[in-house]
Amino acid sequence: MTGYIARRLLFVVLVLVAVSMLVFGITALLPANVAYLILGPFAPPEQVRALELKLGLTDPIWQQYVRWAGGFLSGNLGESTLMNRPIGPLLMEAIGRSMMLTGASFVLIAVIGVGLGIAAALRHGRPLDHGISVGTYLGIAVPEFFWAIIVIIVFAAWLGWLPASGYEPLSAGFTVWAKHLIAPTMTLVFGHLAHVSRLTRSSMIEVLQSPYVTAARAKGLPERVVIMHHALRNALLPTITVLALDFGRLMGGIVVVETIFAYPGLGRLIVFSIQNRDLPTLQAAILVVAAVYALASLLADLLYARLNPKIRFGRNVG
Amino acid sequence: MLLIDDLTVRYRTPGGEIEALSSISLKARKGSTLALVGESGSGKSTVALAAMGLLPQEATIPSGRILFDGQDIMIMNAEERRRLRGSRIGLIFQDPFSVLNPSLRIGDQVGEGLVHHRGFSTRRAFARAIELLDEVGIVKPEAVAKAYPHELSGGMRQRALIAGALASEPDLLILDEPTTALDVTIEAQILDLLEQLRRQRGLTMVFISHNLGVVRRIADEVAVLYAGQIVEQGRTEDVLQRPIHPYAKGLLAAIPRLGEKKGRLAAIPGRLPDLRNPPSGCRFAKRCPFATPDSDKPQILRELGDRQVRCTNAEALRDTPWPRLSEGEQSAAIAPSPHAGPVVAVENLTKTFALHSGLAFKGWRPVATSTQIRAVDDISIEVAAGEVLGLVGESGSGKTTLGRSILRLVEPDSGTIRIAGEMVSGKPQRALEAMRRTAQIVFQNPDSSLNPRKTIGELLARPIERFGLAPSGEIPARVRQLLDLVRLPAHYVDRYAHQMSGGEKQRIGIARALATEPRFIVCDEPVSALDVSVQAAIVNLLADLRDRLGVGYLFISHDISVVAHLADRVAVMHNGKMVEIGPADEVMNAPKHPYTIKLLSVVPRVDGPAYQANHK
Amino acid sequence: MPVSIPKSGSVAMSVDQTTDAPVIERPPRRPMSLQLKMGLVITGSIVLLGLLAPWISPHPWDTISMRTRFVPPNATYWFGTDEYGRDVLSRLLMGTRLSLTMGVSATLVSLAVGVPMGLAAGYFRGWIDEALMRLADVLMAVPPIMLGLLVLAVTPPALWKTALAVGFVYIPPIARLARSVTLTLANEEFIQAAKARAESNSYILFREILPNAWPPLIVEASLRVTYAILLGSALSFLGLGAQPPSSDWGLMISEARSFIDRAPWIALAPGFAMCLLVIGINLLGDGARERLDPRLKSRMGKR
Repeated sequence: MTGYIARRLLFVVLVLVAVSMLVFGITALLPANVAYLILGPFAPPEQVRALELKLGLTDPIWQQYVRWAGGFLSGNLGESTLMNRPIGPLLMEAIGRSMMLTGASFVLIAVIGVGLGIAAALRHGRPLDHGISVGTYLGIAVPEFFWAIIVIIVFAAWLGWLPASGYEPLSAGFTVWAKHLIAPTMTLVFGHLAHVSRLTRSSMIEVLQSPYVTAARAKGLPERVVIMHHALRNALLPTITVLALDFGRLMGGIVVVETIFAYPGLGRLIVFSIQNRDLPTLQAAILVVAAVYALASLLADLLYARLNPKIRFGRNVG
Repeated sequence: MLLIDDLTVRYRTPGGEIEALSSISLKARKGSTLALVGESGSGKSTVALAAMGLLPQEATIPSGRILFDGQDIMIMNAEERRRLRGSRIGLIFQDPFSVLNPSLRIGDQVGEGLVHHRGFSTRRAFARAIELLDEVGIVKPEAVAKAYPHELSGGMRQRALIAGALASEPDLLILDEPTTALDVTIEAQILDLLEQLRRQRGLTMVFISHNLGVVRRIADEVAVLYAGQIVEQGRTEDVLQRPIHPYAKGLLAAIPRLGEKKGRLAAIPGRLPDLRNPPSGCRFAKRCPFATPDSDKPQILRELGDRQVRCTNAEALRDTPWPRLSEGEQSAAIAPSPHAGPVVAVENLTKTFALHSGLAFKGWRPVATSTQIRAVDDISIEVAAGEVLGLVGESGSGKTTLGRSILRLVEPDSGTIRIAGEMVSGKPQRALEAMRRTAQIVFQNPDSSLNPRKTIGELLARPIERFGLAPSGEIPARVRQLLDLVRLPAHYVDRYAHQMSGGEKQRIGIARALATEPRFIVCDEPVSALDVSVQAAIVNLLADLRDRLGVGYLFISHDISVVAHLADRVAVMHNGKMVEIGPADEVMNAPKHPYTIKLLSVVPRVDGPAYQANHK
Repeated sequence: MPVSIPKSGSVAMSVDQTTDAPVIERPPRRPMSLQLKMGLVITGSIVLLGLLAPWISPHPWDTISMRTRFVPPNATYWFGTDEYGRDVLSRLLMGTRLSLTMGVSATLVSLAVGVPMGLAAGYFRGWIDEALMRLADVLMAVPPIMLGLLVLAVTPPALWKTALAVGFVYIPPIARLARSVTLTLANEEFIQAAKARAESNSYILFREILPNAWPPLIVEASLRVTYAILLGSALSFLGLGAQPPSSDWGLMISEARSFIDRAPWIALAPGFAMCLLVIGINLLGDGARERLDPRLKSRMGKR
């Protein structure tokens, strides 16, 4: 098993390096455009040249990359061209706030989604299952930003219970902080529940039809034991992988959701930096996202390996 | 102990309602073993499920009683039935792997029944599990109890399952093809074990199988199932040596007998009737060589001495054997061309596989590790023109690897291969085109060996096209000739694989191999996936083709009887090495190598002296 | 080598003819499931509406008219008007074409690159497999929308560029699927049989594997269209796709945000339209998959 862990770790590192090259490569593709993008298409050539020199855009690409990557590793993430502030602290704040959002959403999605999926599988073919299936079908068809609109219309415009946007730090009071968190969290949860629920349901149904579950029933074990003791363990294993994947989708989801709710997290930062051509911030932010996602996947993989006896105990006894 | 009375079971399927069992009546006497014999589609597994109350939702039971120790299971409620399962009735399934929960330890799974039926604590149950594992002959029972299913071999898993079934000391044990997935030598051990346990504990066993040799060895009484009905029932020796019902006669005539050679096997033509609309008369009539107008009337199970037979003509047919084909039926064999030398000559062939290449750490340095398996270990072998060389071995012996290595479908590590005089090893794949014409292969699995998107015509035309063996105008005629050669009607040209039965698909596989007019064919377990009655027809076909076309075969199989029937010479493989080779008669009747001797002694046979249990 | 037709046997019946019995007929053409029918109807209608949009729109989609701003849905303007007085329904219909084009073209791009990638990886294995799959992993390390943002960040936005970006982003999942389908197929014995005929790799890939690989890929592709539509409109929503005054659905919703309390219909209409289209395509895809699968299952059926 240690071999497995080592390989996965190595893999994560390599992927991040590759992603960093990809991120840098795409944005470094057209250096001339970068300067013009910042200054506008009608900027005088001398200004353009000056900016290029300042940003080091005239050096060979690999040199720029090494400089950038090196800076990254030593903790210096560069400076935002928009706000003229160091990116590092900016990112950390944004990440913190996004983590609150994604954390809360993830927990809710995991608990409710998996719960619904299992419930549907246990009542396979009966009204509850059909109801949940129809619900999830609708769920995956609704785009995230539309959920947001609906939430805003219903809870902010109509009922007036929740603020439609913004963010207050915890220091301003728990209820205020929570209120600003609820709407975006709800939106994310609605958007991703269906996906998790469907996959859990089909995994559970498959397990319930497997030979070892039939064998357990053939042993005359009470149904409760068959499900809790035998079926769940095997059905939940693939669910871990699903949840890890979903974490990635969640991170994608914050882009739109934070923009709509004007929630000052990583997603909104990314959109801002694009709209304002703040390339250094964009590069740093996306790389951080990739790192977080890779870490989450790694954790999921490790958890899976720990729980799956086939990986944990590879050798043969007989 | 178990009495089934007039049971009928129907399944709802998308295609209609199928009557899987029709008025079945069975009796398993206390302390004895009853065998249920039938081919696929006969309904034997359904009987097991019904007796346990485990039929799926789609099944309905319009009539019948199932009496266990005097009580009718059918009128019990679900909870009572549940309490019977696993505590008084045990069930052992066919495939030992998928039946064990991969996430739970063996010991826990073996002891579960005790926890829920007898109120043991988990710890006590685990300890008892270790004792039981020891009883079923597992060495190091504690280590095994703590292990997970994927760590054990097939034989060990089956023993563990038996231990689990016995844990609550049941009165009745139902076994559904428990040894079918196991090698012959392991099968023998499991059968011994079952016999021993039955005697020690006074168990009643219901043993379901399609293998008549196994049935002979272990059962006191046997019931033969065909298309959902019992067609004959009686004491094992009686039924197997002097069958009365035509189907039973046919089955027994279709089995190749060790030591009895070269007569054609009798095959049972036709197919199972459609159970959505079962015929009201005799269900076997369409395939029966003895059918009379009486056969269209409903057949009832009648007593005939100490036997029960479902046939109106039973008395008349009592001593009539299944029709045998006379030897002179074959057309004159083509003498093999006076080609000097064997059609295949292999020397020192070796193939090693590396499994599980992993990463381990020696201190800080990562080190690559891997386990090696020598699938083919320095084998030298020859096949003469027009000869059938049988290759026998259990799983893991390397026989399939050898066959494929000769054709270079698997690349050997070292050794020389000559086919029809041409050197085949050591050349790049591109240069092997001529060889591919001369040497072909027939595969085992009829469901996987034909491209589902091509018509039969396209499938058979392709080899001809590929090697330019006929101008395109003549190809359809050639394809029809091939179909004829394997005795399939010409209109099959437009069919697709999924419209054909297993036996027919195998014939197409053979036709495809013959399309390139090869001189040598590797037959890789060509009949292992087929029912016995269909098997016989394919074996006959292969024999005929060999006689008529002078093609040499390397006939690979784990089933010795089939190999012995067809082969001129037999080679036995074990763990990658060839342990014995010689003329078929010699190897079968006077084996020299201990492994061969052991193999031959444990094969369950339908003929010969009644089996004497091995005394350990 | 001439082959002679065998004489029939000396026994009254030819016991080797196992084929006198009637053929296992194809199961009768099953009627289309409700799911499939609904999918066809819904998707079909929307496609039709989109195609005919220029001719059936009740009002021009881009005419600004300050007098008719924010009219709630009524008899003249079925879905009301937006902040420039434009008819929402007409804009919706024109937007249908944009969404459908986006979905289909992006998916075509993914297929064009992803399928060959997956086929090659699954068939040749070895270092090709490793290299291609690592490439796919790298692309998948960043959430799709962010990858799309990254690509579009460096160039002035245009809808065709968005389609290309979305196609690019969804290459890895298609490649993975193609690979796994190919892996399963490559293990089948008829592929071995082809090798035993010394068939070339390209023959095996195109004439043996691909014809069997298409059905699951097509079904997956149809579902991918929905992802492409959703991602495309999200990007338009963020301003990186269609540009005003285009009536792309995502853009419409984005522009309607400021007026949610006053005129919710401007945002709701395109939202519901998108849901309907996605549901329709999902039903179609799932229904098609169910039709294909049982045949797949019976082919590899019990012995």
